[in-house]
Amino acid sequence: MSRWRYFGRRVALSIPILLFAMSMVFLITRAGPTDPVRNIIGPTSGPGDYHRIAVRLGIERQVMVNGEVRYVDVPLWQQYVDFMTQLLSFDLGQSWVLNPSTSVFELVAVRAPRTIWLGFWSVLIALFIGIPLGFYAGLNPNTRSDYLASFGGIVWRAMPNFWLAVILLQILSNTRKLFGFSWQDLGPDTTVVRAPALDFFADPTMFITSPGAALFGSDGLLAAVKVVLPAALVLGSSSMGNEMRIGRTAVLETINSNYIETARAKGLSERAIVWKHVFRNALIPLVPIITGEAFLLIGGSIIVEQVFAYQGLGQLFFSAALSGDLPLVGALSFIFILLTLVLNIVQDLLYTIIDPRVGYEE
Amino acid sequence: MSNETILPGASDDETAVPRDASLFERIANNPRPAAIWAGVLAVLLLLEGGAVLSMLAVILRGLVQAIPGVGAGAYGLNEMVQSAKDVPTLLSREFIPNQGYDVNGGNDGPWAGTFLGLPPAFAWFIRFALVYLYAGALVAWFINGYRVFRRHYRYADWTPRDDVVDRFSGHTWGQFGAIVVLIFIVMALFSPALSPTTVERNIEQPYSYTIEHFDEESGQVEEVFVGEANTNSRSQGGGDSNYGLLSYDDYGRFHPFGTLDSGKDLFTFMMYGARVSLFVGLMAIGLSGFVATVAAMLTAYYKGLVDLATVVVGDSIISIPQLLLLLMAVAVFRGHWIAAIYNRGFLIALIFAFTGWPLLWRAIRGPALQVSSEEWIDAARSYGQRASVTMRKHMLPYVVGYLLVYASMTLGGIIISTAALSFLGLGITSPTPEWGRAVAIGEPYIATQSWHIGTIPGVLIVLVVTAFNALGDGIRDAIDPQSEGGESTEGAMTGGGA
Repeated sequence: MSRWRYFGRRVALSIPILLFAMSMVFLITRAGPTDPVRNIIGPTSGPGDYHRIAVRLGIERQVMVNGEVRYVDVPLWQQYVDFMTQLLSFDLGQSWVLNPSTSVFELVAVRAPRTIWLGFWSVLIALFIGIPLGFYAGLNPNTRSDYLASFGGIVWRAMPNFWLAVILLQILSNTRKLFGFSWQDLGPDTTVVRAPALDFFADPTMFITSPGAALFGSDGLLAAVKVVLPAALVLGSSSMGNEMRIGRTAVLETINSNYIETARAKGLSERAIVWKHVFRNALIPLVPIITGEAFLLIGGSIIVEQVFAYQGLGQLFFSAALSGDLPLVGALSFIFILLTLVLNIVQDLLYTIIDPRVGYEE
Repeated sequence: MSNETILPGASDDETAVPRDASLFERIANNPRPAAIWAGVLAVLLLLEGGAVLSMLAVILRGLVQAIPGVGAGAYGLNEMVQSAKDVPTLLSREFIPNQGYDVNGGNDGPWAGTFLGLPPAFAWFIRFALVYLYAGALVAWFINGYRVFRRHYRYADWTPRDDVVDRFSGHTWGQFGAIVVLIFIVMALFSPALSPTTVERNIEQPYSYTIEHFDEESGQVEEVFVGEANTNSRSQGGGDSNYGLLSYDDYGRFHPFGTLDSGKDLFTFMMYGARVSLFVGLMAIGLSGFVATVAAMLTAYYKGLVDLATVVVGDSIISIPQLLLLLMAVAVFRGHWIAAIYNRGFLIALIFAFTGWPLLWRAIRGPALQVSSEEWIDAARSYGQRASVTMRKHMLPYVVGYLLVYASMTLGGIIISTAALSFLGLGITSPTPEWGRAVAIGEPYIATQSWHIGTIPGVLIVLVVTAFNALGDGIRDAIDPQSEGGESTEGAMTGGGA
């Protein structure tokens, strides 16, 4: 099978996966033990409200019997078809409990940039700390600093995100008491728990018209970075440990391979060997780890955003699930599943480009 | 080779045993090592007589009462359970009591009501140490049993499994994991004996029980409700209200890990919390491991369409982030009867089993496919062996080791996720203790003098999860020394980002 046919098969396979996963979401939210309508109107409302909402959600249908309005249950398979066609045509509906009569698109448009900002920084931090540490440990195997880095990586990886977030949050909120300086006053004045203002993305001309405010203001770039840093550090923690471990093994494997020995015998300088031959080859096994991180980020963002009161998509999903806003939960799940599948395809694409052996092994 | 052979390694009992003798015949031929081994177990069980008898009695009562038409109090079974509970047990709080009172106040002795009149801290520690000594003895007994079997009763001089065991016994990191995992399991099994008090007295119904203490104002011994004593033993950060590590409260109660912000004992909370974590973890792994193994056998044996269908179903489940599914399910099942079992522990275990099997299946799919292409599978097929027998006898043994590796690593992830859910208020609900809830309780006090509430549970989680990962590493290196950690394990052990 050629590489591209293999890739094509993977892409084609993601369509039934999307349909099947969405069917599961439908089953849980619609056919589960909770009545979505009752959840929206609350236990005390009358039957009039109930029918009004049920009709709008597509659970009941109005019929005229002898000039009288009656409400008939829509059969489950009909509901299923409606649910799927609506989501697949990106008709995401609206929120009912959390932000009544706000469309899901509007909510996502406000929240998504924050989550992307968080994800971007957590990948970046993990990359720039994890990989250098791993490579350093791999270049100095079985030394004290190697053991320290490896052990640190193992413990760091086992640390639950929620606990790390809680500890970090409390330490940062009490820096004046603990260390004598205040995190809040360090750089731009920001509180620890808040969502970053990302207005500069919407209006990049700010950097030219008022560069001072855009960079250093309380809503500027620096403030946004400062707000996101603690959360990103926590979110990237487990990936950091993984990258370190894999990086270390990759360097060890490459450095002991024959072509490095050849290069050494040829008289190549140690510097050239490390930078040109070891590092570049050691990066290959790290690619799937880095793309695989994305899955952890989606799940982890729910917890980290909740603890840091960082109002992104994860926190929106959490509040929606908590308040029983099932239509919103369904629409958000669709977005998350779609995101996961797209990331899967990107990962396969990268594999296909980087590693020519893909598709040949069965 | 003749049919008569000499048992390997049995220099002192060189008796001829037929080659195809069953294990019973071998033991009958040379009963001494087995008798010693069984005798040690008998002594160990005798020490815990009351606990063992009452457990048997409770099981018997349950079985009898399950018969339709038998009343709840039939055949004096309740009395039997009660009398079994009265048999002395070495590791019980009745035998080594640590709850007493200082006869003249001030927590500096002399003490009344404690074991040998020792300070409560010592009495508790003696019981704690005895429990672990006992558990250590049980483990040693088990390991010794394997040695006895290998030396005296096994026909083969050497089996491939010996190499696996030898490799593991040279793996320090894996052994560290095994030891910490054992400590954790003992915590869950023996939590009533390990804790300074019980969850029922101290956490669930503090106003149904009383303790005695010496009241300094009235100058005499008085009885107070546990709940009342708890109220005066709170750890709330500021002022005098903090009872930290290894401290006594005003009622002569010893708190190894300090108290919660409600004055309840954190150590007791942690010990019983280990129970629910282990229950959720084992049940989820058991179910998902079973499904994954069956799926792996079927897909590896039949391949083709079965494999493709499993890929689609499995990938669909994986494509929904695990925490998302957990939150959704917990929200939907709120108030449902399934959620009421074990304060939601059962529901959460079910969801983990549902979301976990595709990852486990993916992890063992490779080895299963590999073994299915071996010649002996073809031979078995052409020989006319039934498919289910081939899978069970010729494929399963090869896959079980890999299953253990990934199960161990996934267990750590499940413990983290359960704690995370409980921390968010959607996991195990009150009154069942769960480590994540202790973190949630302690969150506001982490930067104060009551820092212990929020940090100790976290440190324990890190330790236990590291240990499960280390155990998985150890087993992997033991069964397959050439392998290196694959990427598929990385997601499992971090609990999907929780």
